[in-house]
Amino acid sequence: MDADGASEVLARLRDVLRDSAVEEHDWDAVVAETPIESLGFDSLTILDVLYDVEEEFGIALDPKQVVKTRTVGEIIALLQQNGA
Amino acid sequence: MLHLLEYWAARLALFGVDLLPAAAASRWAAALGSLWWTADRPRRRVAISNILRAGLADDTRQARAIGRGAARHMGMVLVESMKSSLVLDDPERLRVDIPEDVAAVLEDPDRGLILVSGHFGNWEIAGQWLSRYKPVAGISRPMTNPRVQKLALERRPRRAFRMIPKYDPDPGRFLKLLGDGEILALLVDQHARQGIDVPFFGHPAKTHTTAAMLHLVARTPLVFAVCRRTAPMTFELSLSPLIEQQRSGDRNADVEAIVRTLNSLLEEAIRRDPEQYLWGHRRWR
Repeated sequence: MDADGASEVLARLRDVLRDSAVEEHDWDAVVAETPIESLGFDSLTILDVLYDVEEEFGIALDPKQVVKTRTVGEIIALLQQNGA
Repeated sequence: MLHLLEYWAARLALFGVDLLPAAAASRWAAALGSLWWTADRPRRRVAISNILRAGLADDTRQARAIGRGAARHMGMVLVESMKSSLVLDDPERLRVDIPEDVAAVLEDPDRGLILVSGHFGNWEIAGQWLSRYKPVAGISRPMTNPRVQKLALERRPRRAFRMIPKYDPDPGRFLKLLGDGEILALLVDQHARQGIDVPFFGHPAKTHTTAAMLHLVARTPLVFAVCRRTAPMTFELSLSPLIEQQRSGDRNADVEAIVRTLNSLLEEAIRRDPEQYLWGHRRWR
């Protein structure tokens, strides 16, 4: 993974999360190792975030791949694999 | 006290259901539904108010007649769901209309389907019948009466139709299920505290957005189902053509467009058979 590229993707991802998420969270503290389950999404709010992430990066993610991710870093890797 | 009364009414209904042939059991349940209408004053008032607000009755007397018919209908739904095996394999009792584009999805084991309906006709029969193609998971909120809930779950034959809870810690469970080629069934006509305001019979009603969001994010086909009773223990199941919404980049606008379509399809079904709708729910708050 390109470290600079990953940092940039993480920064953009934080912005999307900040705008999309309903729950209050310290988004600046989110790092690659952060477990997704700690972000407080449920089966409904995760859909809003995924829509906004895809729009932000101009890509379409495979839901089967998304549900396999466990950390923010794995999401970043998936975004990069898809051209982000 | 009301819960206990409802529970014993349900037990009494089941006793009748077990003893009687299907048509007679259906009449028995309708009579109990009518009794319920008389006994449950708060829900009766909500139902009459809703029917008048929807513009389906000119006056209270007419609204009351529709409401009583709907209460009888709900009694029948309970019996029909428990005796559904009589209906599911009998084409004389269940006529099915599936557009070609939907049939193609149903017959493809790799493709999931989002199936939407409302508390209209017999939604249980629809879910059970469609589970012949692929497993169906229906999202359910527990009934307000836990005794009746337990009784209902114990008694209904479901085939490959299972109920899953509305809330679950796994945020990816709906995506997984659709990715596995299953059908996710949702009833979208209950008040949704976190939903969006969309007209229902011309009045803004907080409406669930899950089906719409899943269609947009998982890109899973979406369809609306109506299973109306045409005679005792006899139904007509119709699926709409696939509902497709292209993403515009404006999430709220995309969701609203889909939800408006779903509401209008439900309205169309209710206008045709207002006595087959669950009117006792406070839809407009």
